[in-house]
Amino acid sequence: MFNKGILLLLALIYSCAAHDTSMLPEAYVDAAQRSTHTNNWAVLVDASRFWFNYRHVANVLSIYRSVKRLGIPDSQIILMIADDMACNARNPRPGQVYNNANQHINVYGDDVEVDYRGYEVTVENFVRLLTGRTQNGTARSKKLLSDAGSNVLIYLTGHGGDGFLKFQDSEEITSQELADGIQQMWEKKRYNELFFMVDTCQAASLYEKFTSPNVLAVASSLVGEDSLSHHVDASIGVYMIDRYTYYALEFLEKVQPFSKRTIGEFLQVCPKRVCISTVGVRKDLYRRDPHKVPITDFFGAIRPTHVSTDRINVTLANEEDFVNAVANVRPKKQFKIVMEPQFTAAFLK
Amino acid sequence: MGLLSDPSLSTHNKLVDNLAKHVRKVCYAFYTAGVVWFLCLALPEFNHGTYLSENALSPGLVYPEIRIDANRLAVQLLEELQRERKDHQSTTPHAWILAKFNEFGLETHTHNYSLRYPFGGGKEFHGKNIYGILRAPRIGSTEGIVFSAPYRAPSSVHVEISPSVPLLLAFADFARRKNYWAKDLIFLVTEQEQLGMQAWLEAYHDGDKTPDSSNSYLLSGNLPARAGSLQAALNIEVQDLEIDYVDVKIEGLNGKLPNLDMFNLVQRIMAREGVTSGYKQTPRKKRRSSLSNFEQNLRQMLAMLATQSSGVPNGNHGLFHRYRIDALTISAAKRVTNSNVKSNPTSSAVPLLKAIEGIARSLNNLLERFHQSFFFYVIVHNDRYISIGDYMPALVALVACSFIKAYLTWSTLDASAIVLSQETIALKPDTKSLKLSLPYGSVLIYLAVVLLIGYLANVLPLQHYILELPLNAAPLTATILIALSLIGFVLPFVVILPDGGLELLHISLLLIYGCTLIVIGLLNFSLGFFVGVLTVPMVVALNTSTRNSTLRSLARVWTLLLNPLVVIYIIVLVMSFHQFPELTMQQLLLRAATAAMDAAAFALVDSVIYGNWLYFAICTIFLPIWIICWTLALARRRGNEIHQPKLKTN
Repeated sequence: MFNKGILLLLALIYSCAAHDTSMLPEAYVDAAQRSTHTNNWAVLVDASRFWFNYRHVANVLSIYRSVKRLGIPDSQIILMIADDMACNARNPRPGQVYNNANQHINVYGDDVEVDYRGYEVTVENFVRLLTGRTQNGTARSKKLLSDAGSNVLIYLTGHGGDGFLKFQDSEEITSQELADGIQQMWEKKRYNELFFMVDTCQAASLYEKFTSPNVLAVASSLVGEDSLSHHVDASIGVYMIDRYTYYALEFLEKVQPFSKRTIGEFLQVCPKRVCISTVGVRKDLYRRDPHKVPITDFFGAIRPTHVSTDRINVTLANEEDFVNAVANVRPKKQFKIVMEPQFTAAFLK
Repeated sequence: MGLLSDPSLSTHNKLVDNLAKHVRKVCYAFYTAGVVWFLCLALPEFNHGTYLSENALSPGLVYPEIRIDANRLAVQLLEELQRERKDHQSTTPHAWILAKFNEFGLETHTHNYSLRYPFGGGKEFHGKNIYGILRAPRIGSTEGIVFSAPYRAPSSVHVEISPSVPLLLAFADFARRKNYWAKDLIFLVTEQEQLGMQAWLEAYHDGDKTPDSSNSYLLSGNLPARAGSLQAALNIEVQDLEIDYVDVKIEGLNGKLPNLDMFNLVQRIMAREGVTSGYKQTPRKKRRSSLSNFEQNLRQMLAMLATQSSGVPNGNHGLFHRYRIDALTISAAKRVTNSNVKSNPTSSAVPLLKAIEGIARSLNNLLERFHQSFFFYVIVHNDRYISIGDYMPALVALVACSFIKAYLTWSTLDASAIVLSQETIALKPDTKSLKLSLPYGSVLIYLAVVLLIGYLANVLPLQHYILELPLNAAPLTATILIALSLIGFVLPFVVILPDGGLELLHISLLLIYGCTLIVIGLLNFSLGFFVGVLTVPMVVALNTSTRNSTLRSLARVWTLLLNPLVVIYIIVLVMSFHQFPELTMQQLLLRAATAAMDAAAFALVDSVIYGNWLYFAICTIFLPIWIICWTLALARRRGNEIHQPKLKTN
């Protein structure tokens, strides 16, 4: 009974779409621009440790807060934080992390679920997570259980260089490893579309090697440029947040779950005037026009649903029809399976 | 193909022969190049601006939170202390300091130590340090930072610095209210200048070991509580709460320096708080000078090298360096009343307190010991420095002289022998066996004897039977040193080396001299460079086969003047002349003689108690080298009359 209801609903949605496509070429293009994803995942990584890198933790926690507010549940957010700033002995506000000098929002609030923390944040774990090759016994919360219908947001922050991102002050992930990881994700049908966002120095070098389809990438700085921090909180004594993330958040804060804002607008949040570094964008692998893609396709968890104010009949079909449908099922075609001999006796003779 | 080290291989060819003819010119060219290079370092093109390498320090990112009430507390504590000082003319008011530490809620302990003074029949002195530990509230006590203030009794001959203790206490009171300390803070009040600090550091690091009481002079005891591995230390010497300027002292034991990052950190934070601060900072009047930039830089460099070369720390910070703890002293000078500057006693120390807070917070941010920036550098100006890579070439050029000369002398040994043999007998000599037939044995024995003399100078003054003599340290040490120098002086008259011995001795001198100079230069560049500048021309000028008698006697006088004891005497003489220009010549000479004897005794005590190796270097290295030089300058040979005119190298 319940199944039947869902089916009807889907059929209804389908008919709406079909109705649109039959109209005009523009409408058809429009429909092609519409995402086909069914669920959203986010992988948010802070790869650097140490107290003076407070801002990276603030970056990643702020993005976490935004995607959570826009509807991605904790079970579908993988949050990796390489160091514990909230409980660092140098933190004058124990248990709290702020992303702003006015200390309005404690981004390390009551409901932060850190999935990989401290020394668990390694290149190995990150690549295992992306490619789904986690070790036996890995908790469900530490797995990226995405499928061919998932839109995945990957956000990285830390200290980078030309072609690498430093993890934990001891190892690096190279842009090639990252590209290979994403290619494997594509081959294993682990994503529908992927939005890759990175805030490090020379960030654009990280997406250079990507070849997988349906990837949209944005980086805080081009190769050869440094990404800079935004401001200092003189009562905590550290840089609070990085420029690119700061302006990205400023944009995201105004986005509501049903917002009409597009990812195209989001790509322009930080002009060189305010960012100081040049934001790099890579669109050639992405088949849709970013200006027609709602930002909630990546930063929220809104499924493509049709909201109707009309009366809809969701009653069950007649029982006779149902029985007839079962009775009228055509008999399956008979076929015979012939097993070829594995070792042809002819050769032995 | 023969081995490279085969002595029978003839090494001389045309190039070597030509070079050998001009060996002195080559050497003096290198010498000049070295000195010119050093002078060039004072030019802004040759030195670099300072910068902070350590990210973790993040200096000046926090607002100072210390307020005027801390200053009020300091003023009040200073008044109390001044009252206490009336009853403690030559002792430390331990009870008062202890009570204050306890009052501020610090974990307070006392540390007792005693010194067995080795000279004058042996006496024992006792001392007491007080320290309070502020435990880091949210982390294990694995690391610590030391804030220390030396206490001087009113009877002390040094400048009064009693406000340091109230300032330290006021900062301690502020610090204990804060929750962000990631390292334990140790507040330490020491007495008896560097002795107290040395004892405390020894007790902190080696207190658990059972002391070998028979051998040690400083019995440092043990500490009741520690705070993990010490990361950095700040020594505070404040003459008055109203300060004029801050002089940052960095030179430590044996010329070691704190990491350049620490100096830069202090400079940066002092500048932010508006405190005039600098390396070898002088009062405003003196600062105004018409000297050119180059000259100022050069003076600064030479002043630093002069302080560094003695190896004696110029503050309590210097003793930390031997435990690989970066430390420096901020020495604040009293403000001389100036009508232009209205002083406000209620807030006068606030900038300094803020600076101390800023330094403390930056040190607190450290994740590991200072390691990013330079440990070997020369400060040219408050914001300019020369790194080891830039100044070493100067010393290497000096040392190169001795190696070049050694090589060329060795290569042309047989050439000179051929000339000699062709003139005396018409037979072709076996040149290959010539180098093998040199008197290696006797030269080795001679070297060993000379080194033994130096070694005796090092150990004799501390032997029990000598210490029991009813003599003071100064005359005792001086007598022994003079006696041993005299033995060295007489030695070449008594012992005459066989044929070829002098040449061989010359080569070994050049090699030993070059090696020791480069090693000393690596450990303490200032000492190595000064010794090099003074002695390299003499060593190059020495020639065992000069016929010109005036040149030879000149060389002898030169060598005599460079006897280590004579050099020390001359230095002391010049210093006393500067200090007491009113004295007559005779008084001056006498005063300098006693001062030089004292200097020798102090150097010995320094080496015994603090581990300063200057005395060791002078006795065991420079004295033997001088004796060899003297032997070569005399150049006495067996059968002097027959051989000498014919032995001509160039």
